[in-house]
Amino acid sequence: MNVVDPFRNNLLTRHEVGKRLKAQGKLVVGWSCTSTPEEIIHSMNAVPVMVFGNLENTKLADVHLPVNSCSFARSGFNSVLKGDYDYLDGFVTSRSCDNRNKIFDMWKHYSEIPFIEFINTPHTRTEGAYDFFFNEILRFKSSLEKAFGETISTSGLKKSVHVYNRNRLLLKKVYELRKREPPLISGAEALEIMLSSMIMSKEDHNGLLESLIEEAPKRVDPPKSGVRLLISGSVLDNPELLRIAEIAGGNIVIDDLCTGSRYFWDPVDSDSDPWHAVAERYLRKISSFSMIENEERFKHTIEMTKQFDVEAVLIFTLKHCDTHLFDAPQLINELKNLGLPALHLEWEHSQRGLAQLKTRIEAFIEMVSGVG
Amino acid sequence: MKKSYEFAHKTKRAKKPVAWVASTFPVEILYAMNITPVWPENYASLCAARHVSVKLCEIAERKGFSRDICSYARCVIGSLYEEKERLPEGGLPKPDFLVASTGACVTHFKWFQFVSHHFKVPLFLLDAPYNISVGESEHLENHHITTYISQLEELTDFLEKQTGEKLDRKQLHETIVLSDRTSQLWEEIQNYRKNTPAPMGARDAFSTVFYMLSAPSTQEAIDFYEKLRDEVATRAEKKFGITQSEKFRLVWDNLPLWFDLRFFEYLNNLGAVVVAETFSHVWIGRLDPSRPYESLARKYLTNFANCSIDRKVALIQNLVKEFKADGVILPANWSCRMMSIGETIVKEEIYRKLGIPCLILDVDSTDNRNYNESLVKRNVEVFLQVLSEKNCES
Ligand code: SF4
Ligand code: SF4
Repeated sequence: MNVVDPFRNNLLTRHEVGKRLKAQGKLVVGWSCTSTPEEIIHSMNAVPVMVFGNLENTKLADVHLPVNSCSFARSGFNSVLKGDYDYLDGFVTSRSCDNRNKIFDMWKHYSEIPFIEFINTPHTRTEGAYDFFFNEILRFKSSLEKAFGETISTSGLKKSVHVYNRNRLLLKKVYELRKREPPLISGAEALEIMLSSMIMSKEDHNGLLESLIEEAPKRVDPPKSGVRLLISGSVLDNPELLRIAEIAGGNIVIDDLCTGSRYFWDPVDSDSDPWHAVAERYLRKISSFSMIENEERFKHTIEMTKQFDVEAVLIFTLKHCDTHLFDAPQLINELKNLGLPALHLEWEHSQRGLAQLKTRIEAFIEMVSGVG
Repeated sequence: MKKSYEFAHKTKRAKKPVAWVASTFPVEILYAMNITPVWPENYASLCAARHVSVKLCEIAERKGFSRDICSYARCVIGSLYEEKERLPEGGLPKPDFLVASTGACVTHFKWFQFVSHHFKVPLFLLDAPYNISVGESEHLENHHITTYISQLEELTDFLEKQTGEKLDRKQLHETIVLSDRTSQLWEEIQNYRKNTPAPMGARDAFSTVFYMLSAPSTQEAIDFYEKLRDEVATRAEKKFGITQSEKFRLVWDNLPLWFDLRFFEYLNNLGAVVVAETFSHVWIGRLDPSRPYESLARKYLTNFANCSIDRKVALIQNLVKEFKADGVILPANWSCRMMSIGETIVKEEIYRKLGIPCLILDVDSTDNRNYNESLVKRNVEVFLQVLSEKNCES
């Protein structure tokens, strides 16, 4: 057995995992944006899970969504229409991009999920934005309490913060293993570990991470040396893309993804009042594309390239993901100024979309290794 | 419109402040501080009308901007890299600073973020909370209003710092009064279109609504609209229709095809007249000069671009009833999520509630590479056929 298998198995059977949790008496609440304050959901004895799609066609969603909408969000919505997510007790989305805002309407009109909530996440970090967001956090809490007849206590929230921070700390340790040359964990494996964290109970995931961290140094099948790559983009819910790059001779050693470092890098301050600490963390975590402070986001990406000894960068933007598409040219320029080659790929979230990118990824890696 | 670009260039040469503004931004405050606003969106539509927008979009694409992002944005970004002499109206004057709001789309601020980086000038973002309660302005959530107001105060500080001048509250008061008056006049003009035959069509509406968006608080707007109102009133009285034989009355959503405004004439020739555009109605809203910031907050937060789709459904429902429309055209703007996602809901809801058919058209307002003219026209003709059969039945 490979050290990553338990994570992969959970990921591959994520709907069964969800249903099992429900059978154990837990509420299962879906979310779609990494600025969702999961700890609050967790502290009412619920398991927050990220809603992904899959690489199949999206025939059901295509009836309602125009072809020019985000293919990732479309895929998730398609799964909902198909009934894959029938076990969800609720769904929470946030204001991150135009696609999300409008697709929220789709969920409201066409899904059967009983509780659907929208968090008005600000796009700035001013004091005023903080006050507003804190208010949203409290509103979100009351909305959950009302919908599920639960009480969310401060001490409960503190406990959840503890569980989540532990997960963040352990994930960082896993990322540390990628600093070595060759890395101890491949990029595709790291993504499987990340994604499984988003669909399992955090307690269970923490258990898996602990054994992984112990076992990884002894593994007999670590990745081979290859071109050290950073991958930047929005959400990546399928390791296939990374596998293509790694088979072609690359090693994805670090990421700048919503479903990667941006998800867990910053902990919640566990010493202060948890409500404020949660608001603070989710508003001021690593800047994402949807914040006005995008210079900071670029700084973070560049800092990562240094820490992880990166030789080249792959930028994967989902088709019709405006926010990332606007940032890509500037990011590429900044990387170029540092002498880092970057390949920008716009991809349609589907099996066919993957196949279309393969040759370009291979050519890029060949080019970079030729230079090196 | 030409005049407004000349004026902006002149202002720039005189070293007075020029700001780039995106729609749904409360420009009233800029006028109250004698700042000349410049509208990149309007410039993009002008470039489309002059048939240069595709060329400019392509320049932006060569700079790495995806062909799928907002064509307004691509067109304007492309113009940054083109020689001034080759641009309509000599291009946009360089901004001293930029102001944008999230009230219509997140794209506005991503686009302006890039421009701000390009020119190394500051950007003020007015972050409007998204309105999912879709209630009327008096039912907005309190923290939405307070955050908007407090940002207007921050905006005032920002503008004072940028211009070195203090906001004169009396002037703000006047600006709000003027804006309110402009809005009332525009509404009056629109109301005349309830007459059969409709005295004004979409082409005229789209070419005159400009004042509502960009200069609502100027005497010039008021003078212009007063004249227009009188003209439209006379036409209504004399029963001069936009078309001689008005067979179908339509509501038009989103934007026109800026590169082909004759499209509306083509409709007229088929006996169809657009009697109302959502775009003409979305800017209408009363302002109370005794509570300037609060009323701006209430007005802009309930603009349907900032709301869940149900608000658009309600607006169209209202327009169909009041303007006695037979059908609705929903042009889904390819590069704009805000204007394309959700049109299926509008279509279903309007049919369910009123039995009125809607037609979704796949188009783009400025990038005509995304426009299949013969297919669009064929769809329109089939749609009108359906309407006429329906009219016969009833
Ligand atoms: S991938 Fe991009 S467009 Fe899609 S939901 Fe996320 S940020 Fe929005
Ligand atoms: S066309 Fe759409 S995306 Fe572009 S600026 Fe207008 S609302 Fe925003």
